[in-house]
This record gives sequence, C-alpha cells and structure tokens, in this order.
Amino acid sequence: MDVLFQQLFNGLTVGSVYSLVALGLTLVYGILHIPNFAHGALYMVGAYITYTMMTSLGLHYVFAIVVSIISVGLISVLMERIVFHPLRDSTPIQHKVAAIGVLLFLEALAHYIWGADYQQMVTPYGQVIEVFGLTLTMQRILIVVTAIVAMILLYLFLKKTYTGASIIAMAQNREGAHLMGINTNKVAMLTFFIAGVLAALGASLTSPINLVFPSMGHLVILKAFVIIIIGGMGSIPGAILGGYILGFSESIGATYISSDYSDIIAFVLLIIILTIKPQGIFAKGEA
Amino acid sequence: MLSLRDVSVQYGNYTAIQNINIEVRSGEIVVLLGANGAGKSTTFRTISGLNKPATGDIFFEGSSICSLTPDKIVKAGIVQCAEDRKLFPEMSVQENLMMGAYVHRRKKKEIKHTLEEVFELFPILHEKRNQAAGSLSGGQQQMLAIGRALMSKPELMLLDEPSIGLAPLIVEQMFESIQQINQDGTTILLAEQNAHAALSIANKGYVYENGNIVVEGSSKELFANEEVRKAYIGA
Ligand SMILES: Nc1ncnc2c1ncn2[C@@H]1O[C@H](COP(=O)(O)OP(=O)(O)OP(=O)(O)O)[C@@H](O)[C@H]1O
Ligand SMILES: [Mg+2]
Repeated sequence: MDVLFQQLFNGLTVGSVYSLVALGLTLVYGILHIPNFAHGALYMVGAYITYTMMTSLGLHYVFAIVVSIISVGLISVLMERIVFHPLRDSTPIQHKVAAIGVLLFLEALAHYIWGADYQQMVTPYGQVIEVFGLTLTMQRILIVVTAIVAMILLYLFLKKTYTGASIIAMAQNREGAHLMGINTNKVAMLTFFIAGVLAALGASLTSPINLVFPSMGHLVILKAFVIIIIGGMGSIPGAILGGYILGFSESIGATYISSDYSDIIAFVLLIIILTIKPQGIFAKGEA
Repeated sequence: MLSLRDVSVQYGNYTAIQNINIEVRSGEIVVLLGANGAGKSTTFRTISGLNKPATGDIFFEGSSICSLTPDKIVKAGIVQCAEDRKLFPEMSVQENLMMGAYVHRRKKKEIKHTLEEVFELFPILHEKRNQAAGSLSGGQQQMLAIGRALMSKPELMLLDEPSIGLAPLIVEQMFESIQQINQDGTTILLAEQNAHAALSIANKGYVYENGNIVVEGSSKELFANEEVRKAYIGA
C-alpha cells in the first residue's frame, strides 16, 4: 500500500510538469492551429537559463526561475514575431516546417553555448520529510504546489479577465475576435509569452530531479503531444487532465510492470484512448 | 457618416468589387441588394478592415479608416455582424455577449446595462444565457450575433444578411428588431436577399451586379423601379 501511495505521489509530480508543458502547447495550438514543435526547445532553454543563473551568477534557485520564465516568455514572443507572424496567411505545412526549424536552431544554439554535457541542477529544497508515512522531498512538494498554483492563476486569468478571455475567443474564431475589437497581434504575443513561461517553469521545477542537456525537450514534447491529443486539441481542461493521467499511468506502470517501459506508456495510452474516443477526452463542442 | 469612394477590392487578380460609391448618413438604414456573389460581403469585409481596398478610400465621420486594423475600426464605432456569424462556439451565450463589449471592458456598469437591453430585445438569449453558443439553433445564433454586435454600442452597425436561414415569422421579428435598434440611435447598413422586407424599413438602397453598383436610390425609387422589382422584389 505504501508503495502505491509513494508512486501516486510521484505520478502527481511528473503529471504536474507534463500538464504545465501541455497547457502551453494547447494554448498556442489555438493561435497556430498546429502543434508547435519548438515548444520542447523552449522547455530545454528554460532549464539552461535557470541553471546558468544559479551557477554563473549565483542566484538563488527561486530567483533563477523568475529570470528564466521571463526570458523564455520573451524568446517565445520573439519566435512568434519573427517566424510565425509573417507566415500567418500560409499553409499549415509551412508552419510545421518553420516550427521544426526553430527547434533545430534552438538546440544547436544550446549545444554551442552550453555544450552537449549533462548538467546537474542543485536545489536548495533537497530535504526529505515524512508526511503520513510517505517519504517526500521538498522539491517534489514544491513542484506539485507551484504547478497547481500556476494552473489556478491561469484558469482565473482566462475565465475572469477580458484579456484572458480574448485568448480563448481568438482560438475559437479569429475573425470573430478581430471584429469584436480585439487586437489579435497582441493576443498572439501574449499567448506565446504564457506558453514560454509555462514551459520554462515546468523545466526549471523538474530539472533538479532529472538532468539538463540539449535534447532534454524531446521526450517531454512528444509526451505533451500525446497529452493534447488525448485531451482534445486546444482543450485546456483536457491538457491538465491528460497531463495527470499520463503522470499517474507512468508511475504506476513503472511500479507494477517495469520501469524500463515507463516512456512507452504514453503511446500505449494514446492508442487505447483514441480507440475508445477518437476525438480526445474533451473534444471540441463538449468541453 | 460613412462614405466609400471609388472602392475596388481584389482577391488575387479577381476583382470582386469595382469603383463602389456608397453614402450612409447618420440615423439611416441603408440596404445593399444583389444576387449571390455580387460583392456585398466583400464590401462589408472591406469596411471592417478585414480586406484592404486596391483603390479608393473609406471615410468614417470625416477621416479615412482604410489604414486602420479591424480592432481600431471597432473602436471607432463600426461593428459588423458577419454573414457566418463568427460566434465563439464553446463560450456561453453570456460570455459571447460580454466579448462584444470588449472595447468598453473598463466600464463594468455600462456593460451590465447594455446586457440588460440586449436581453430585453432578445429574451431567448436570456433564457439560454448559460448554454454554449454552438448549441443554439441557427436563428438563435443569429440573434446572438446581433446582440453581441450591439454590446459594443456601435454608431454604425453592418448587418450581413441577418435573415438568412430564418423562418418567415422570425424574419419579420428580425426586421422589427433592426428597426428598433435603428430607432434607439444606431445607423444601419444592411445586406439582404429579402429585398421587400429590407426596403420597407430602409431609407435608401444600392443594387449590386457583378461587383458594380447598377442602381441606387431611395426605397421609394427602388420600389418604383421596374427592373429592380422584377429581379429582387418579385412582384
Ligand atoms: N476569399 C475569397 N477569395 C477569392 N474570391 C472570393 C473570396 N471571397 C469572395 N470571393 C469572390 O468575390 C465575389 C463576391 O463575393 P461576396 O461574398 O462579396 O458576395 P455576396 O454579394 O456577399 O454574395 P452572397 O449573397 O452569396 O453572400 C464572389 O464572386 C466570390 O466568389
Ligand atoms: Mg455575402
């Protein structure tokens, strides 16, 4: 029983990070109408910036994260302006090619600046505590709490403010949003900013329990794709729920099947869910 | 209030409208008539800034709006209720209406007041306020689209075929609502297939043919015009 709860908590940790990354991906999907392959590169850059702020400038972990999420948010906006905005009237395939281009560029840049070595990020929250007989590290608690707070804030922003609602409106009908007096350029930039922030936050939170390296975004972004397909493309509750479903499935699978296969679970899950509900859990029109 | 001067619009190298001149004065209802594909929606899209004219200029209250982006044109006081409605299907009816007031987002009290006015005009929207816009019937969606446009308190409202797909009884109500909106102080430019009903409430009209305006005049003149009667009024 203890093992189960321990694994469920691990699932919650991993799921929190997946949800953050998938949320950004699903928000940007509303603007681009393609999955942004470069999102995983933003995740990786986020981890590196936090790492560099800590090691080179000696910033505290928390401040390093703040610098990182703002920087990656801005990089993400820059990507929208330089790459996707000029392509706004072109075909989806051109968007996809451009997104892959950005991904390759950012990875090469990371290689150039930080090298190919694996880096270890040290957290000041390494303490181990006991809660209800479970052994938890502060870092994992920090991940879960921060992610949930971020998601609640995002939800309130999207639901309760006009600026937030304009993101949803633009995803549902771009010209409709334009005709309501919404500046769609600003909304697109804001959406990319939020997506960058979420990716960098997820990466910075999880890096101390994983490693930092140029291709660290690959598996995560692949899983984030699975999540937003499972959750229903563009659906916000779907991205959150999908993230946790995957997190729990992986950690339980790792315990009861084999930890060697935990990365395959995402794709098995994808096949199962798409067989039962081809439109995803929160398909458009139902969410 | 609004004047189009020699406006031409092209899609690629296809000219959809050519040298269009339209005058709308404050307080009027002006109707655009014409067969399918004649260029009415293109004219509307161009006024709203979704398309840019190849030649000519558009003036609203004395200043050119051709170089403005669509959101700025809404802020200037022109709102469009488009042919395909352009609702936000997964938002509730009330959320859609609230988005209509986006340009007034800081004035909470006024928004609430306007919302009540819209609910008064279209009671069905109040009844369905918590339903997703996408789940409404076609006619209800049309009312929502008009209600949403009203939420921005426009000075000039462009209505692109508001009676499309509505039952005859509802069409009548729809034209009554439009007249009501006009009497409450909004100038209206209307595109319609339903020429008889439209001309009955309009001050004047323009008839489109293949991207050109071929006839223009007061409603009376158009009713009296033999060719217009044959082609569009059918009596
Ligand atoms: N996006 C577009 N690309 C190319 N051609 C277009 C486009 N939109 C409209 N057209 C063409 O421009 C012409 C005018 O179309 P428009 O939609 O303005 O007509 P309309 O008068 O509104 O017709 P309807 O009564 O059917 O709504 C048509 O011949 C149409 O095929
Ligand atoms: Mg039309």
